[in-house]
Amino acid sequence: MSIFESYVVESSIDEVFDEKKNVRQYWNNIVEDIEKAGWDLLKEKQSDIDWHLEDNGVTFNIYDTHEKSAQRSWSMDPIPFVICEDEWSEIRKGLKQRAKLLNLILKDLYSEQKLIKENIIPAEVVYGHKGYAPEVFDFGFKENFNLYFYATDMARGPDGKMWIINDRTQAPSGLGYSIENRLTMNSIAKDLYPNIATKKLYTFIEDYKKLLLDLTGGDLSKAAILTPGPHNETYFEHAYLSSFLEISLVQGDDLLSKNGSLWLKSLSGLKEINTLLRRVDDRYCDPLELNDESRLGVAGLVESMRQNNLSIINPIGSAVLENAGLNPFMEKISEYFLQEKLILPQIATWWCGQKKELDFVIENLEKLIIKKIDRTESIQVYFGKKMSLLEREALTLLLLQSPHQYVAQQEVVFSTIPYYENGTIEPRNAVVRTFCLKKGEDYSVMNGGLVRVATEKDSLIVSSQRGGTSKDLWILGGKEDDISMAYSFKYAQYVETSIDKISTPKAENLFWLGRYLARAITTTRLIMHVVKKITNFYRYEVGTSKESQVILQNALTHMTMTYPGFLDVSNDESLEIFPMREITSVIKDTSRSGSLAFTVMMLSNTNINLKDILAFESSKLFDKMQKEWNEFINRTNDSTLIVASELDNFLIYLMAYKELVKESVFKEQGLIIYDVGYKIESALLLISKSRSMLCLKLDRFIGHDVLEGMLNSQESFNAYRAFYRSSVNLENVVDFLILNSQFPKSLAYMTGELLKEFKLLPKAKVELTSYEKPIAQAQKLLESIQLVNLLEIEKDEGIYVKLDAMLLKLSDLYLECSSEFSNTYFSHYDE
Amino acid sequence: MIYNIFHKTVFNYQSMVSFSHNIARLKPKESLSQKLLEFSMEFTPKEYESHEFIDSFGNENMHLLLREPHHSLSVIGKSKVEIFPEIIKEQVDNLRRKSISFGDALERLSKFHADDLEAKQFLYESKLITRKSKLIRDYALESFAKERDVFESANELMERIYRDFEFVSGFSDITTPVEKTFESKKGVCQDFAQFGISALRSIGLPAKYMSGYIETLPPEGQEKLFGADASHAWFSVYIPNAGWAEFDPTNNIIPKEQHILLGSGRDYHDISPLKGVVMSSGSSHLSVMVDVRREEEKVQMQAQTQSQSQNQY
Repeated sequence: MSIFESYVVESSIDEVFDEKKNVRQYWNNIVEDIEKAGWDLLKEKQSDIDWHLEDNGVTFNIYDTHEKSAQRSWSMDPIPFVICEDEWSEIRKGLKQRAKLLNLILKDLYSEQKLIKENIIPAEVVYGHKGYAPEVFDFGFKENFNLYFYATDMARGPDGKMWIINDRTQAPSGLGYSIENRLTMNSIAKDLYPNIATKKLYTFIEDYKKLLLDLTGGDLSKAAILTPGPHNETYFEHAYLSSFLEISLVQGDDLLSKNGSLWLKSLSGLKEINTLLRRVDDRYCDPLELNDESRLGVAGLVESMRQNNLSIINPIGSAVLENAGLNPFMEKISEYFLQEKLILPQIATWWCGQKKELDFVIENLEKLIIKKIDRTESIQVYFGKKMSLLEREALTLLLLQSPHQYVAQQEVVFSTIPYYENGTIEPRNAVVRTFCLKKGEDYSVMNGGLVRVATEKDSLIVSSQRGGTSKDLWILGGKEDDISMAYSFKYAQYVETSIDKISTPKAENLFWLGRYLARAITTTRLIMHVVKKITNFYRYEVGTSKESQVILQNALTHMTMTYPGFLDVSNDESLEIFPMREITSVIKDTSRSGSLAFTVMMLSNTNINLKDILAFESSKLFDKMQKEWNEFINRTNDSTLIVASELDNFLIYLMAYKELVKESVFKEQGLIIYDVGYKIESALLLISKSRSMLCLKLDRFIGHDVLEGMLNSQESFNAYRAFYRSSVNLENVVDFLILNSQFPKSLAYMTGELLKEFKLLPKAKVELTSYEKPIAQAQKLLESIQLVNLLEIEKDEGIYVKLDAMLLKLSDLYLECSSEFSNTYFSHYDE
Repeated sequence: MIYNIFHKTVFNYQSMVSFSHNIARLKPKESLSQKLLEFSMEFTPKEYESHEFIDSFGNENMHLLLREPHHSLSVIGKSKVEIFPEIIKEQVDNLRRKSISFGDALERLSKFHADDLEAKQFLYESKLITRKSKLIRDYALESFAKERDVFESANELMERIYRDFEFVSGFSDITTPVEKTFESKKGVCQDFAQFGISALRSIGLPAKYMSGYIETLPPEGQEKLFGADASHAWFSVYIPNAGWAEFDPTNNIIPKEQHILLGSGRDYHDISPLKGVVMSSGSSHLSVMVDVRREEEKVQMQAQTQSQSQNQY
């Protein structure tokens, strides 16, 4: 059966068929191609499309009612929306005209307000619109305050012309998706539509880059895309645009403002940003001057605009143009500014703020569609004909109360277009989104666009948020040789991790990933050892073990700083009889700072923040680990043996995660920061344990037990045996864990490695930096030690005073290094 | 009448703050009836950079960046302001004379009139005064009959707020919705001002939030303690053909010589004396100290300085 035989046009107007059910002339070739292909090839091409989009990771986040977002893949059907060359040239003119007008309105509303003062538009349409931003009231005078990028939603009306439905001006989405749609269509077009020539998109992308070069003063590194982050519904597109426009993708936290400019925080220092392509809504861009609850913006952003150091695509304040209340006045505005008639028709709109119009609207409510003039809050649209008498009365009351906030629009029947799904085609409504870009005094229009198809037959609602699907927009009549430029469209998701460019928040997260991971591993090991000791203790009841048990437990409290813990004198007795109570709390109590659960929580936060840098497997592994961990810590009454085996299991996960982290990132890149964090933390914990376990003068049996515990909790027992080939004694253990410059887990070794790694960091100098100094001092100290002197002890003393003093000094040096390191790289203190 | 005003705001932070952007609005506005003689601002810690600008409501703003690590930020504004009561009296008389009926006012506001445009910014929802409640509207309409004079009606609205609401501090904060103020009939000056504004806007009249100070006097026979004052707020209503008329519902008076204006806006949010964004964990605590003091008669002042100078010689 022929494909289009099954297609029944129900609407009064259809894209492919005219009133006499004949295929419109400019669709002939495409309809023929589809018929020639047949159902099977169409189905095959649909799966090709699905595969392409999925393979490229094209996604769209959807918020469900529980505020959790779900990723959905983007979808497109193989039948394009087609516009012929002649019609397009008229539409282009119309779009350019509308873009120019909106730009003039924008500049006027934020400067002289002649439109209001000369009674071209009512003040209420502006002041009563939530998008009007008095914060930028005089910025319209600025040369770089323009509507740079403009998107228009259009649909074909009953007269056969494309009508304007919506203007999108503050942070229009869809450009990335439409480019991806085109690339995907290209891949199937050669089989499905071998002879159809369409206009290409690349000139528009070139124009976009030129605009950015122009605004940045020729240096693209001064431009960035401001995204609300990975949870945003169109995050895919933000990453996509950043990749092919070759500019950084940043979040509010990556930027700071000072000297009246914006700066990108990176490990090698602050880099000025003078152009932002923003995907954050107006009011969320600056918590200081706009919405103070926003966490998506940068404090001082408006000030940077004020001081002429920042261009934004599009400027703060452009939301006022997304204003259905302007529609009834557009003809007058066009006459005022350009002395021209509007080229593109709009839907007939009545602004209710005028007495005559309001009366008309109330009179004709059942024939009209009512909506608010702004779309800054959830968009509510009332379809008069679908409302009951009571509902209409309630609406009338709303209109009477705040008439200026509402418009009424004529209900229009728009065209349908064949849509392929699951082996059938049916007519659906569709909305075409086109894009304009400021180019000198004029605008450049993209020869294509994004077509969104209604979710169901007979539905007028077209919204990707509600789960729609899309089509490519084809403008017929391109030249074949255009294809040579397609190479410029290669897309690879890319996150900057090179050491000079990595953003400060990312680097800081890497540093803390290292610290928390080291802390989690070391804490788990020590707890495990203590727990195993307890099980043995009860089994054998060896008298000497009890004292060493106490020393190990005290070491745990010291190392995790979960004071008073085992040092709680008032609770002595119960701790002695039920040590597992305290240990369980140190494992599971998330609210207790220093507990293992607390450390895991912090680790989890850093892991989430680094999702785009770390390997895919590492986040998968982490999720799995976290799930099991949460089950474990929420369970009560586990036997001591089960606790031990859970910890065993958890440790294996941690070690596997550690390996994946190391594999994800090159050392020369951000990983070195992680490594520094890991070493600093390991060193601090080793020092803490040594002070609790190596500085006490103990009797031989107990001493042996404690030393074994020290080595075991450091996972160094076998290495020790291999190295010394003797039983454990204090002298050797101190030598091995502290002074040995060959053993990778020793303090001396880590100290040496840190000093080497510091030299690879962007702020390294010939002379010692503030964070290097303490570590260099630690190295000197370690090298100058005579082991024999260190372990000298007076007869009546219980503590190796010299060893303890040295460890204390080392601990201070490491802490100083950590804080200087943070100051130097993460706080941009002196820049 | 000359006033010396001392306004100190202190933010105490739980953890160290090493980077914060702030906006301070502590410079009294100049007008025909109010002249700013002296003004200074002082920050501890010292600002890293600052930049002054005038916002769309004509208020003087100071943008500040602090980069010195600190646990507490203190901002002291000192101003010397001269008030001209005769001019105010003349203005109020003028407003009374030119005021029109409520019905005529609405009629005029529904049309284009060049003089009314600026005022229309103050007709709509703002951040802190959002919903238009029918109950509040009905409350306002009790004073506003169509044929009644707007000035007179607004004056009565002020009186009613003064009579019907109880001054209770600590009951509300800046985020307390107007509806709640109305329900409890309790609050402080800014609640009463914002309630009045909401009531006026709900019946279609532009109204703005006036922020500043008021001179207070100690109980008879006592000396006034330093820092015993507070910031003050009142409302202003737009009367087409006449202009902006100010009313202080907390004290049931039309500001004459004891009100000093800092600035005005759609609500408190537009004109808060100090706001900031800090990068820090933990909470912060705000404390404010205000002193408003009438300067002694000029003659006496001179005498004093002279005698002091003489002592020095």
